[in-house]
This record gives sequence, C-alpha cells and structure tokens, in this order.
Amino acid sequence: MNTMSGDFRRDLEVRHYPILVYALAPLAALVLQAWLPSLLAGNAWFDLPLVITVYFALVQRIPIQGTLTGAVMGLFEDALSGHAIGVNGIAKTVVGFLASSVGIRIDVDNHTIRLGLTFLLSLLSSAIYVAVYRMLLGLKLEWSWVIELIKSVANTLIALVLFPALDRLQIRD
Amino acid sequence: MELFFIRYRNVLVLLTLLVAQIVGLAVQVRRTNSGHNTLDPKDGPGVRLIRLWADAVVSPPEKLIHETKLGSTNLWNQYIDLRHTQQDNQELQKTIDRLRLEQAALLEDAKQGQRLQALLNFQEKYIYKTVAAQAIGSSGSDQSRVFTIDKGSNYGLKPDMAVITADGIVGKVREVFPGTAQVLAINDQSSGAGVILETTRIRGILRGNAIGQPQIVNILADQRIQPGEKVLTAGGDLIFPRGLPVGVVDKVIRDPDRDAFIDVIVKPAAHLDRLDEVLVITATEARFSEQQQQDLATSEALKGPEAAAIEEQKKASAIMAERLPGLIDPNLPPDQQPLLDSSNPNLVGRPPQPLHPDRFTPGGANQAAPASGNAAAADADKKSATPGNAVNPAAPTAPQNPETSQGKPQP
Repeated sequence: MNTMSGDFRRDLEVRHYPILVYALAPLAALVLQAWLPSLLAGNAWFDLPLVITVYFALVQRIPIQGTLTGAVMGLFEDALSGHAIGVNGIAKTVVGFLASSVGIRIDVDNHTIRLGLTFLLSLLSSAIYVAVYRMLLGLKLEWSWVIELIKSVANTLIALVLFPALDRLQIRD
Repeated sequence: MELFFIRYRNVLVLLTLLVAQIVGLAVQVRRTNSGHNTLDPKDGPGVRLIRLWADAVVSPPEKLIHETKLGSTNLWNQYIDLRHTQQDNQELQKTIDRLRLEQAALLEDAKQGQRLQALLNFQEKYIYKTVAAQAIGSSGSDQSRVFTIDKGSNYGLKPDMAVITADGIVGKVREVFPGTAQVLAINDQSSGAGVILETTRIRGILRGNAIGQPQIVNILADQRIQPGEKVLTAGGDLIFPRGLPVGVVDKVIRDPDRDAFIDVIVKPAAHLDRLDEVLVITATEARFSEQQQQDLATSEALKGPEAAAIEEQKKASAIMAERLPGLIDPNLPPDQQPLLDSSNPNLVGRPPQPLHPDRFTPGGANQAAPASGNAAAADADKKSATPGNAVNPAAPTAPQNPETSQGKPQP
C-alpha cells in the first residue's frame, strides 16, 4: 500500500525541466565550485555540486537518476581535486540515492523540509567522505567537524536561494 | 528472477556504482614499505581518462571566466585607471637602476662562486627556463589544495615540475593535459617538499595540514627554532632548486602523535590563497640562461663602472683602516690594549702641559692653587696623566709629536 501511494505521488508530482537546465546547472555548479574559491582566498566552505545533486534528486524522485547524478558529480569533483577518484563519488552516490528515495515520500514543495534535508545530507556526505578516506583507504586525513558543520550551514543557505530559483525554471503544463 | 531485478533495480544500481567505485579506489592506493597506505602518485589509464574528461568539461568555461575577468581588469587598469602611472614608472625605473647596480656588484662574486663550484666538482642548478601561467581554477574542495593553470603539455609542461612565484615556491605540477595542468600546492596534505631552516640548518619535509597551512613535520624538538626564521628549499627532492624561499617560521607546536617531535608551522612566502600568475620551471641547468646572461651584460655595461667605483671605494677604505693605528683592539682584553703599550711611539697621549697655566686651563684650578696646595690634588693629577685615563678614544685627536707625548720639555 505504501509503495503504491509512493508511486502515485511520484507520478503525480514529478517535475520536468528544459534539457538545458539539466545540462547547464550541474556544469555551472562544477565550474563555480572550482572558480569561486580563488575569489574567497581558497576557502571552499560550500559544496555546490552537492546542493544540485540534492535538488534534482528530490524533485525528480527517480532513485536511479538521483544515484547516477550524484555519482557523476562526485567523480568530477574527485577528478578536479587531484586526490583519489571515488571518495566524493561514493559520498554523493549515497546522497543522491537517499535524496531521491526520500523525495518519493515527502512534500518537496515544502522549503523547510528541503532545507533540513540539505543540511542533513551535507553532514552525511562529509561523514561518508571521512569514513572512506580514513577507514576504507587507510589514508591520513586531518579533519575538523566545525568546518564541516559550517559547510553544511553554508550549503543550506545556498539552497535557500538556489532551490526557489531553480523551481522557476520547471516546465509547467 | 526478472521480477527481482525490477523490484530491486534502485538498490542494485546503487550497489553496482558503489562497488565499482570501491574497486576503482583500491587500485589507486598502495602500501608503502613502512606499512602505511598512500595514494599512487602515478595515475592509471582509467583514472587519467576521468581526469581528462573532467578537465575537458570544466576548463573551457573556467578559462572563459578567467579571461573575461582578466580582460575587464586590464581594460580598467590600462585605459581608465591611469592615476599615478608616471610616478610609479619613475619609481620602478629607479628600482631597476638600483637592482642593476646591485647585480653588477654581485656579478663577480657569482662568477667566482661558479669557478669554485667547478673546482669542487659541484654543479649548482640554476633556473634556466620558465613558463608563465595563469591560475584559472581550484579543486573546489577544502580538503584538496590543487589548482588549475592555463598551460599544459603544449607548452612543455611535465609532471613534477616546480611551480613558483617571485615571492617563493608554490607547488609542483601533478597532472598535465594538453591545454591545462593541475598543480599540487605545498599546503596540500598529500604534498611534500624538502626544506631547510636558514639559520639552524635543520632539514625537514614540508606538507599541508587540515586548514591549509604548510608545516614542517618529523622534526625533533629543538629550542633553537624560533618564529621568524627563514625557510628555504633544500634541493634534495629533485623538484625544487636549492635555496628558493619557502616562507618564515610562524610557530612551533608539539606533534600530537609523538612527544619528542614538533611541527613547525610555516607562513608561506607566496600568497597561496590568492594566486594569479605563476612560473613553471621547465628546465634547470648549471649555467645562466641566455636571458639572465643578457641581463648581466646589460647591468655590467650600464652600471658596471659605477659598481666598480663603489667597490674601489670600499677596498680603499678597508686598506686605510688596516694601515691606520687602532687605539682599541676589540679582540684584546682591556689590560692588553695597544693604548696601554708605553713602548709604542705613535700613541696619542695627554695634551702637553701649558707653560703658563691659568685658571682657564683644564685642571687649572689645581695648578693655579698655591704651591702649598694639598698633596691629594697633585696625586690625582698625576694619576690622570696615565695614558688610559688621558685619552678618550671617541674624541677626535690630532697627531702628536712622540716626544711631546712622552712628556719631554718643549723647546
């Protein structure tokens, strides 16, 4: 019964966007993530690809698509970082899957819920990153949870502005 | 079976992606002899392909943004904001003149150094060729201090080439693509550069910490290391030439893992958080580059005579200083000073006694006293006549007749 109601809601509320938005929004997120820190004295205390992953996963409500979006964004971030490829990939794959799975069951038009989810998923992404880096790979990584908390808050603030802006770009019947 | 795949397709896709990435990670990590895991510095073909794709997607827009920003800045600086340009130009010209003078003065020392190095069979490598590049983007992660430059293998860049600015070292080339390259900065946690402290000559390895500060690790606790000491490249890592500025010691902290060791936090000389233009050292040679030789020749031709004149003046001063008698030798104890040597006929003594002292003569109060004046005053006067008390070395003194200085009567 639950599954049925979930499918029903998904069929009812799935959003569509112009193809350019699907292509340009992730690209813009990756480019800005790489470019903005040079203006901010190297402080990259935000994660635009994560915010975009969460947004599209939430509003599209297709777990496979959310998972793939997260994987691609994470792998691209890893490729640009010069570190091992796959650490961010794993973190964002899980985030994309969870966001789209949760999106089936919640009201995605509610800003508060979306922002709360962004904050929690941002923290989860950091936790997975540390776990993979330290435990799975056994590599040394100095870490500060305060910075990760600040980053999660910053992601939430970005989502506060970005989500309504992206909502306006959806195709309405 | 088909129903199983349809029902669990979401989870299966998730697991497939996770497993694929974990396997991919496993091939990028290797175990060192010391038992620690480390990232393989050489990327495999698959990993390199992903990096190439990411670079191909992200670099063109980054270049576009950077060039737009650069163009607008140049437009403003070169055509609109021209206040004080003439004054700046004049000051720069003065600086060039001064530097040419200094360069010409140092030229002989440099040549002599090279000759001595050749005699000792030691060849120091000089920066022979560099490629200027613009930093167009960063890694976008606070855990990674990697940035992208707008020059790549098309300009002769290769992995492990040193990247510097005029202020100091920046990092090394990590990955090279045709039009761009990734540079691993010295404040990244996975970087490593051999450095030496200028005064204490303590060597160590420089790498970044969690908050992006470069620090020298694996150093035994040493009281001599103080904030402000300069840090230079040691040259042992075969990446950075020896003697390039790295920064200054900011503070010394205890190694949290090992009691006997310390971490030296370094304030980098280069502005690592605001990099714009950098130089990639593409070749080092045991000789000066053509450009450097041209600069030296220009300096020699333009400012050589002035530098030579200054050098001659210095030499003449040194010779004069050697020839002139020294009143106080800083290397001798006070009781063996040449001033106390009575056998030296050139000693400057007490001014001669006046033939007819009056009350205006120094010490005249005593001498003008009646012949029956007190003996103590006469005794004090006798004591003051000893050379040690008579001469103030700081006071200017005229050359004296040796006979006069020994107290012989004037004709």
